[in-house]
Amino acid sequence: MTDNILVLGGGIAGIQSSLDLAEMGFKVHLVEKLPSIGGKMAQLDKTFPTNDCAI
Amino acid sequence: MLDVGRHPNIELMAYSELKGLEGDAGNFTAKVLKKARYVDADKCTGCGACVEVCPTPVSDLYNEGHADRKAVYSWFAQGIPSTHAIDTDHCRVFQGKRCGICAKKCEADAINFDQTEETVELNVGAVVVATGYDVFDPGKIPEYRYKTLDNVITAMEFERFLSASGPTEGHLYRPSDRKLKAEKADLEKTLAKSAKALARFEKKHGMTSKNFLVALTTNTLELTDDLAKDAEKWAAKAKDHKSKDDRLTALAQKADAVTTAKKIAFIQCVGSRDLRFYPFCSGYCCMHAIKEAIIAHEHDNDTESSIFGMDIRAVGKGFEEYKIRGGNASQITYKRSRVAEIVRGENENPVLIYEDTAQQKIVKEPFDLVVLSTACAPVKGTQDIADTLGVDLDKFGFFKTDAANPLDTTRDGIFVCGCAHSPMDIPESVAQASSAAARAVQAIMKSKKAS
Repeated sequence: MTDNILVLGGGIAGIQSSLDLAEMGFKVHLVEKLPSIGGKMAQLDKTFPTNDCAI
Repeated sequence: MLDVGRHPNIELMAYSELKGLEGDAGNFTAKVLKKARYVDADKCTGCGACVEVCPTPVSDLYNEGHADRKAVYSWFAQGIPSTHAIDTDHCRVFQGKRCGICAKKCEADAINFDQTEETVELNVGAVVVATGYDVFDPGKIPEYRYKTLDNVITAMEFERFLSASGPTEGHLYRPSDRKLKAEKADLEKTLAKSAKALARFEKKHGMTSKNFLVALTTNTLELTDDLAKDAEKWAAKAKDHKSKDDRLTALAQKADAVTTAKKIAFIQCVGSRDLRFYPFCSGYCCMHAIKEAIIAHEHDNDTESSIFGMDIRAVGKGFEEYKIRGGNASQITYKRSRVAEIVRGENENPVLIYEDTAQQKIVKEPFDLVVLSTACAPVKGTQDIADTLGVDLDKFGFFKTDAANPLDTTRDGIFVCGCAHSPMDIPESVAQASSAAARAVQAIMKSKKAS
């Protein structure tokens, strides 16, 4: 029995899941295949419908 | 991103892959391979001094191949973790050549060519799969000539062009014009070298290369012994220099006339809603195209965009208003049409052939730049991940779920969210991610109760 959770993928979905779980007090292992997290969203300049910066 | 890097409850394992998963919900054992970065994460400060001295340029996939990075690199400037990595496919040291200049330059002594990969075992109660998507390869659609026309690009490539940190620093220079400028710069370098070589002959024989060539062709050259030795070589070099110089003049003229892209076409449903590829709607691409057209117009108010689609699907909070605002304020025209073909036109302009359904006419219209709104495709290697996890995929290659439990995969304790689940935009991914987190907690609580 363990309170640890594995999150696969460090894009916006993986980041959000990890932060939610970590804030709830669970220990998260976030595994990302690329050298840094961010995923596709980190490649975006701005996001709709507010034209906010992606990163 | 930054929060993830410094949260005490998150162990960030970047540059790693899942290699195995045994056990059941509440008590899984996961094997994770930590790939060798050849840079010590505890020592690297992310300063980038190694990048400055690395002599090996490599196509930068973060910029969709429109810029170069180095063989030692960070995925992107603000990347978390900021620890650099060495690309062994390109690094001179790993190709058996003499180098290692990065190691000499690194003040933190972080470069370690002997680092090895490492497999760690983790005991976890639940798994959240958020492996994302891949941009559909539009090269599979021959009539859009993505592979042969420089100025036909994907929406993700356009995104990088729009970015102030991208390859054009946010200016909309077209790929064909950037190629032209690169060729011009290369040619200038070559010419500078050959001018030096010619100068040596000119000094030795006290004659300009131009006069030498004229004398040679008019048979009025007074051949000394010295000159006879050099004449053939000099003539070849001088002729080569002149032809290159002419080419440079032509290129310079073209380069001077280059302006940024002002007339842009967006083509929707490239690979999606297409029975040859993916029958589903990718959901976000209509809004993505509108956003890109609005941002392009923000950069330069002369920019006009046409968005070609079967219909514009602006389904979401505030989306329809955004679409209308774009049409009114950002010179966007929405055209109901499925573009039949893109052909090469004058000045590297892609020419669209389409039926204007409002006019009931076949139209041939040139644009400066064409942006393809590509489908959201399952990420390459999803089958391997599914096999490792022991879960099923659906017929398109996304993780299989059912309507009553939309985030549960086919194995207890494993949940999916984001584009690994199905195509979706950022707000939906974020909402699903929170839901998947909640489901993971429920699975852990359930197994605790049972034990």
